[in-house]
Amino acid sequence: MDEKPTIDEFLAADPLDPGCDAGVPIIDQYVELELAGEDPALRFPGMAVHLRSCSACRADHDGLLALAADGPEPA
Amino acid sequence: MAVNPQTPIQGPSGGALAPGADAESRSWVEALSAPGALREGRLADLHALLLRAARREAARRRGWLGAVSGPELDDIAQQAADDALMAILRRLDDYRGESRFTTWAYKFVIFEVSGKLARHTWRRQPPAADETVWERLPDRLRARPEHESEQREMLSLLRGLLDSELTDRQREVFVAAALNEESIDVLALRLDSNRNAIYKTLFDARRKLRAGLAAAGHDLER
Repeated sequence: MDEKPTIDEFLAADPLDPGCDAGVPIIDQYVELELAGEDPALRFPGMAVHLRSCSACRADHDGLLALAADGPEPA
Repeated sequence: MAVNPQTPIQGPSGGALAPGADAESRSWVEALSAPGALREGRLADLHALLLRAARREAARRRGWLGAVSGPELDDIAQQAADDALMAILRRLDDYRGESRFTTWAYKFVIFEVSGKLARHTWRRQPPAADETVWERLPDRLRARPEHESEQREMLSLLRGLLDSELTDRQREVFVAAALNEESIDVLALRLDSNRNAIYKTLFDARRKLRAGLAAAGHDLER
């Protein structure tokens, strides 16, 4: 999220947010759906909600997406 | 590489993989579950892959949590690769082929790099300042022009709600993570907790603050 958050986003507390631990078993499947051009939120809606408001999990997601996309050496 | 090739693998040799698992992923699991030289060779391949991945991820995060570079950063990458490999071997039986094996394996590298960089930062950073950065908050938020006045009012209310609505723990976490932008991983180490618990505390604090704003006539759910 490069843009500044609104106050609504700053205080995000979506009841569908399952927290950080829920993403651990599925984050690899989540990024592969993205790489396949599919919408991962359809299969993992909670994870999509969580990534919008957890910068730590978003950092993990972004790193994994980069590695899954082009391996250990940047493209 | 500090890995004993005799490290036991739990479970069958890839027998639990989904029918759709790709051939390369099957090959990884079968080799890592095999006895002897085949396994030893693939362990070395996997460790080399994890080390390159850890270096890339450590470099990507360089500077986020303070100045880490050069040999220090590489040492973190080495440790992350070693620990990721051990975690992968312990969890190999959990792998079902629902993603490529390498993507599944990279996940462990990401978690290790993330955790080790946070620990490194926590050990080196000065004690957190007590000062809360309220003054910068308006500049960090975006408001539509027609809502600027209401947003100023909400931010003013927020300061009071912190004291009236939150528990001491929720206030401490909200101030550190949301207002002062401390990493929740570093905060978790400082408070002897974990990322999930800190996030849950932050979530509960946000929920109470939203409810407080709503009670004062500023319903963010509208």
